[in-house]
Amino acid sequence: MKVLRRFVYPYIVWAAVMILVPMLMILIYAFTKEGNSVRNFMFSLDSFKRFFSDPVFGEVLKRSLVIAVLTTFFCILFGYPAAYAMARSRFKIQLVLLTTIPTWINMLVRTYAWRGMLDNKGLLNTFFGLFGVGPFKMLETTFAVVLGMVYNFIPFMILQIYNSLEKIDKSYLEAAADLGANRVQVFLKVTLPLSLPGVISGITLVFLPAVSSFFIPKLLGGGKYVLIGNVIENQFLTAGDWSFGSAISLIMAAVIIISMYITRYIDKKTDPEGGAAL
Amino acid sequence: MKKFLSVITALVLALSVSACGQSSGGTGAANAGSEANVGSGTLKLFNWGEYIGEDTIANFEEEYGVRVISDYFDSNEMMYTKLLAGEAYDVLVPSDYMIERLIAEDRLQPLDKSKITNFDNLCDNLKGLGYDPDNTYSIPYFWGSVGLVYNKNNVDRAELEEKGYNILRDEKYKGNIYIYDSERDAFMVAFKALGYSMNTEDENEINEAFEWLKSLNDTMEPAYVTDEVIDAMANGNKDIAVVYSGDAAYILEENEDMDFFMPNEGTNIWSDAMVIPANAENPELANEFINYILTYEPSLDNSLTVGYSSSNKEVLEELSGENGDFYGNTAYIPREGYEKDEIFHDNEVLKKKLSELWIKVKAAN
Repeated sequence: MKVLRRFVYPYIVWAAVMILVPMLMILIYAFTKEGNSVRNFMFSLDSFKRFFSDPVFGEVLKRSLVIAVLTTFFCILFGYPAAYAMARSRFKIQLVLLTTIPTWINMLVRTYAWRGMLDNKGLLNTFFGLFGVGPFKMLETTFAVVLGMVYNFIPFMILQIYNSLEKIDKSYLEAAADLGANRVQVFLKVTLPLSLPGVISGITLVFLPAVSSFFIPKLLGGGKYVLIGNVIENQFLTAGDWSFGSAISLIMAAVIIISMYITRYIDKKTDPEGGAAL
Repeated sequence: MKKFLSVITALVLALSVSACGQSSGGTGAANAGSEANVGSGTLKLFNWGEYIGEDTIANFEEEYGVRVISDYFDSNEMMYTKLLAGEAYDVLVPSDYMIERLIAEDRLQPLDKSKITNFDNLCDNLKGLGYDPDNTYSIPYFWGSVGLVYNKNNVDRAELEEKGYNILRDEKYKGNIYIYDSERDAFMVAFKALGYSMNTEDENEINEAFEWLKSLNDTMEPAYVTDEVIDAMANGNKDIAVVYSGDAAYILEENEDMDFFMPNEGTNIWSDAMVIPANAENPELANEFINYILTYEPSLDNSLTVGYSSSNKEVLEELSGENGDFYGNTAYIPREGYEKDEIFHDNEVLKKKLSELWIKVKAAN
């Protein structure tokens, strides 16, 4: 095993160059001013002041978090039963494949396709029209944004939960049944707690991209749902204010680290081996 | 270590938005390195997406026995950011105000006029535009204006004539309008609607324009779109949209219910032009390419495919003429010599201000 350790070194070098250096640059930009030129950098907290002194940005951050929480919630709501059914199905491999196939196609393309389905003369409204209802305004609403996010990110949730459900030793369930637990009790006392680690890592995988996504709100929200990712994108690509963009990125990173810490805390508390839940 | 890495991974995900801006420098350097050995017969073209004829590149490659590597951008600012990161291209196709900035910052090299033998093929009004009076650095590629595409069945032309841009605030069309999602174009509409210059620096005028857009946002349920507007209007999703004339020409070809209107309050007359950056690796071929685009065949192919107004006089006249593909298409020929029409000037301070105000308009939802 010790020999294998050496194989880690290239990765560490790679991580240092490709991950640490850009992050350091963001750090430097965030605390300096004067645009894109790092050579004559001046320490400054202006970017942070600007963020916190203008309520608009706080509002945007709040909205991003609300949308991300909603997305995560619906991913669990729909993802858990799906994963549960998959884990008990006879066609596991096929179902896993079916869940993964959509992710083979570019996210942007799939999201664009939803525009065609949701708009006033789109597929869904044409279908509703056959029964004489509608058209419903679906595109450019919060519904469309959350739908787009749930659609794009739910495979991550399903696969995580599926994995942890798969790992559960069947004899636990039999033991619980032998001891007189009914099916609901078996699920609540054994299956659910044992699958929570999957749910937690699913939350991380869904919440992170959801909170920073910028093209889904742009395409499906009609540009009206400005999220924090849109503001960052705008600062880098349009406004050219890299300092402010970096500062917002850092603030968001802080928010994310805190929320990860909270989920991890909950995870520990409910960890079956820690004994808290059982 | 594991914990450390997981924190790093989280950060990377969190910062991925900004990382794409940052990493372009790294990949740029890698590209330049790997392509240096392809040989002198390689042209690196940095153009807008879907902005060239179907066969233009292939024909050029065949005729000159060279290879063309195309890269695409979707905003002048993105192009500028990449250029700043050190990426070496031979030909760029930025817009007027961006060329103004590139010239001011010494990032372009003069064209080799002895190679640009087809200069006279250009439309007369596109020679010596304000940002480059002697065509020292640039040769126009496409040009056009910004106007309103509207559904003839639901919107009356007379009403448009009367209200101009203010029709966008008429609650009759609530939930039925598309606004172009860029601070420059949105504020252009507001400035013009209020009768101001779109290059104004007057605080009061800027604030008035901000209020104009804000009240539009609060009362009209507009959708803010960029390229999505093309499909959306071609499908007839909404009644009125702020659209670039070239995209409008395409929409009008696709959907005959649609028509194009340039408000009397004036608009933005823009042009995109071919330039050679100072760090180009193959300026010689770049000059050849620019000269090639000026000829009839590629200009025709470009304009037919993309729908934007050609900078080639002959092509423009032929396509808009009686037997031309765009005959009767009101969006194909931009308005000339109208005094309220303006060209954008490069103004970093104003742009930053507008950019921040634009976010505030949209974020208020």
